[in-house]
Amino acid sequence: MNDLIVIGSGLAGLTAAYSAVKAGLSVKIIAKGMGITHWHAGTIDVLGYAAKGKGVARPLEASGDLPDEHPYQLLDEKGLATALTEFAALTAEMGLPYTGAQTAGDNLWLPSPVGAARPAFLAPAGQAGGDLSTGQPLLIVGIEGMRDFYPKLIAENLAKQGHSARHAFLPLSLFTQRHDITTLQLAKLVEEPARLSPLADALIRIVQPGERIGLPAVLGFENHPAVLARLTEATHAPVFEIPTLPPSVPGIRLHTRLRRRLEAMGVRVEIGMEAISFGAEGERILWVETETSSRPLRHRAANFLLATGGILGGGIHSDHTGRAWEVVFDLPLTIPQERSGWFRPHFLDGGGQPVFRGGVPVNANFQPIRPEGGPVYANLWAAGGGLSGADSIRERSVEGIALSTGGAVASLLASNPVK
Amino acid sequence: MHTSSISTEILVIGGGATGTGVAWDAALRGFRTILVEKRDLTHGTTGRYHGLLHSGGRYVVKDPHSAVECIAENRILRRTHTHCIEDTGGFFVVTPEDEGDYPDRFVAACRETGVPCQEISVAEALRREPMLNPRISRVFEVPDGAADSFLATHATAQAARQAGARILIYHEVVGLLTEGGDGDKRVTGAVVRDTVSGESIHIHADLVINASGAWAGQLAGMAGVGVKIIPGKGVMVATNHRLVNSVINRCKMPSDGDILVPVHTVSIIGTTDEEVTDPENLVITAEEVQYMLAEGDKLVPGLSAARIVRAWAGVRPLYQEGFSGDSRDATRSLTLLDHKARDGVQGFLTITGGKWTTFRMMAEKTVDRACEHLGVERTCTTATTPVPGIEQGHYWLGHRLHEVEEEQLQGGLVCECELVTRQMVESAARRNPTVTLDDLRRDVRLGMGPCQGGFCTYRAVGILHEIGRERHDPDFVLEGESDAEDWEVAYLQSPAESSRGHSITEHATPDAIPDTPLPTRSPAIDQRSPVSNPNLLLRDFLQERWKGVLPVLWGRQLKQERLDELIYLSLMNADHLPDDEAQSPLTGFYRAS
Ligand SMILES: Cc1cc2nc3c(=O)[nH]c(=O)nc-3n(C[C@H](O)[C@H](O)[C@H](O)COP(=O)(O)OP(=O)(O)OC[C@H]3O[C@@H](n4cnc5c(N)ncnc54)[C@H](O)[C@@H]3O)c2cc1C
Repeated sequence: MNDLIVIGSGLAGLTAAYSAVKAGLSVKIIAKGMGITHWHAGTIDVLGYAAKGKGVARPLEASGDLPDEHPYQLLDEKGLATALTEFAALTAEMGLPYTGAQTAGDNLWLPSPVGAARPAFLAPAGQAGGDLSTGQPLLIVGIEGMRDFYPKLIAENLAKQGHSARHAFLPLSLFTQRHDITTLQLAKLVEEPARLSPLADALIRIVQPGERIGLPAVLGFENHPAVLARLTEATHAPVFEIPTLPPSVPGIRLHTRLRRRLEAMGVRVEIGMEAISFGAEGERILWVETETSSRPLRHRAANFLLATGGILGGGIHSDHTGRAWEVVFDLPLTIPQERSGWFRPHFLDGGGQPVFRGGVPVNANFQPIRPEGGPVYANLWAAGGGLSGADSIRERSVEGIALSTGGAVASLLASNPVK
Repeated sequence: MHTSSISTEILVIGGGATGTGVAWDAALRGFRTILVEKRDLTHGTTGRYHGLLHSGGRYVVKDPHSAVECIAENRILRRTHTHCIEDTGGFFVVTPEDEGDYPDRFVAACRETGVPCQEISVAEALRREPMLNPRISRVFEVPDGAADSFLATHATAQAARQAGARILIYHEVVGLLTEGGDGDKRVTGAVVRDTVSGESIHIHADLVINASGAWAGQLAGMAGVGVKIIPGKGVMVATNHRLVNSVINRCKMPSDGDILVPVHTVSIIGTTDEEVTDPENLVITAEEVQYMLAEGDKLVPGLSAARIVRAWAGVRPLYQEGFSGDSRDATRSLTLLDHKARDGVQGFLTITGGKWTTFRMMAEKTVDRACEHLGVERTCTTATTPVPGIEQGHYWLGHRLHEVEEEQLQGGLVCECELVTRQMVESAARRNPTVTLDDLRRDVRLGMGPCQGGFCTYRAVGILHEIGRERHDPDFVLEGESDAEDWEVAYLQSPAESSRGHSITEHATPDAIPDTPLPTRSPAIDQRSPVSNPNLLLRDFLQERWKGVLPVLWGRQLKQERLDELIYLSLMNADHLPDDEAQSPLTGFYRAS
């Protein structure tokens, strides 16, 4: 029997599992899908906008000013910083190093797919090169026939914000004879050594001295660091990536490496398993059942971590009557049980939509609690996007919350394991 | 502010089904005609209706006069607007809740009004529509159909243009020009504001025809004439796929939530009827949606559990002289108000009431009267004149799929839900004056599928921005203006046509890598329009979409919405783009409150 079963294979689940294994626990991951890493930029966003949409320069410091119910307020003082440092170290070990801003503690401001400056705290080296707080001119290069990346739009918006930026297109025939291509296909092609030289040559001919080159995030999967290094070396210009419309190549790189790393440490990661019911005795959860084609499978463990995400991750469902429920354990939620209270009339309302702020309320030990206060189960924990008290997409804290709360649960378990 | 002045014989106000129909008819009869519409064509009720080509069955008992109009026009439109109509057929079904003698009265009334009606067995009905409530007791088949009002209005407008009419969209009438005083008043034209450039134009006309639907009262007021429109709001809800292939009506006195219409890729359940004060800002409540779903369950059990993609509302421009009562009981018949006879105001007609199904007939009656006013005799030919594009036959998503597969256009898809290619977006933007992404949605169904614009919004913004051309370019002409003669609007709907016919993608060879940006694709987007400002385009469309999905966000659609937030807020940071203060005609929608 495992010490811990993690339900969910998003960033929260994976990092919690990693820390728990490192601390000596035996861990298994079961998950329906792969979390939202594949849909995002592949960066670690900690806190980009505070109340009323105000930009945050130094997220760790600003996190202290968040409302009491925010998941960051449950962490101990060094919790967030430690989680980020450990994550950065892990990525370096995995050969996909993440870095932060030149001034430690600042947010990076990276060009988004529409040319806005998006706040991220850590980014893969390939993206960090786009940081807009340095003034180096940008050449944004697109590839004709790609429908998920628009360099002219990016360059023009960057220029509007005072950056020196221009754009150019490369013909798709550098890579293929087809007329169009998807992001994933392109990322595979770019990895082939034979295609890399023509790409480098093409870039050399359009880049001007002093410029850095921003390409869509398609610079390979496995060999990404090598592709990046090779292009930078050949062009004598820093080459960086800008995320595309999903699916996200940087997200896939991160997820794949984390998962492989865990498997190498002996963790079973079982994807495609939807938890459909559970068994409990008094205060303790005994098992979780998943659906398979033949018969349901029971997974027993001493502890369970719920990391199934929120409405987007699939951890919380809802219906037209205004009911919202947590899908595995039917835990109490802080979402209003009345649809009229879920939304505001404006999509871009800086305050966000109330429904997305709700979630699973937990105590200081990250145990889901009842409305009256006490934990629902003695051996159940929750982390990540399903937690109550933050609209992580509005405030740009998706990965920060995942890493830090996942890490916090792992260290709680490691220091006083429930067997 | 610069004011210019033009003159014409007939000025039509309103670019809905009725107004474009009038412009078409008038131009065919040889009148110099201008139509002005304050936003895009079909901005009004015509773009927010239920999609039913009435057989007349719905009105046989309650409003037989209207039923007679419907069946006559139903037959005509199938010939003149063939490609805009899907011959779905329709059923009137008796559910366990619909008791009493209505079915028998229905059959008798169909006979009297000439609406073809045939009773079929429940077994036969279930064979053809397996999702139908098996507990129904009787089924009558009628010649209902599904009609695409976006395509039909564009085709009618194109026919009008080809007959010489000018169609000015984003031109709002802000005042009427009048001469003379009490008893001897005459409307001589209108003051029109170009809502994109802000310029104002005086259009002088021998006759002004008010076809502004639910706004007709406001317009008439500008000439000091009192017209009381009874605005009846109706809510409709679309499921993410077709639950039925025929129109399903409840066989009972017309009421709320009793019709299910299959339209292209979705089924639409509707509708309600509630009197409102303002035709522009319509609120849809959770209760209304819930009610539609509950009623829908009676026709197709389980409908309420289907994924719901969008809800919207339109306003019926109902008019009845001296009527006071419930708007549902107001007649659906058309009303032509001759303000000379009625109010002593010359040169001014108002056409209102009716239905989409009867727009051609409404136009005919109106232009007949116009002839009298202008002292000429010219006969109507619209009933026998097909609009451009009918040779295509009815267009459905299968056409697009077939072409996309045949010509391997998959990788060029901008909108996977509705199979819209890059070339279709480019053609639509170049051929029709596009001001907002919502205009494109109406043109090519961009963003109308299950993901409601999640992916295609960004792509469309990027593409429109790429094909834009500088404002100061002296050679700039909107393609649609120069080649109205040979362009077939129907081809807007064809992935293959737009890539075959007008090959605008020049693929550079590796040898020819320029050191300046490649001149990308064909130019020609009106740089005066907000389309040239991608940030505004994006922001407005996101808000417009939000309005449409808000009443139906739960379950998988709520999850989808959260994904769109992840993409547009967290990944793109679209809420922190420059030009926050920029305005477009759509902006007013959400800046208002
Ligand atoms: C909920 C609902 C469902 C319906 N379902 C069906 C159906 O299934 N089948 C059917 O046959 N009929 C249906 N109808 C009826 C049908 O939709 C309408 O009768 C028809 O669309 C009216 O067209 P219109 O051109 O008269 O008005 P509109 O389409 O409203 O056109 C009026 C136009 O005038 C413009 N305008 C207003 N003020 C100004 C100004 N100052 N300057 C310039 N332009 C101006 C508006 O922007 C608008 O575009 C439905 C109606 C409703 C409300």
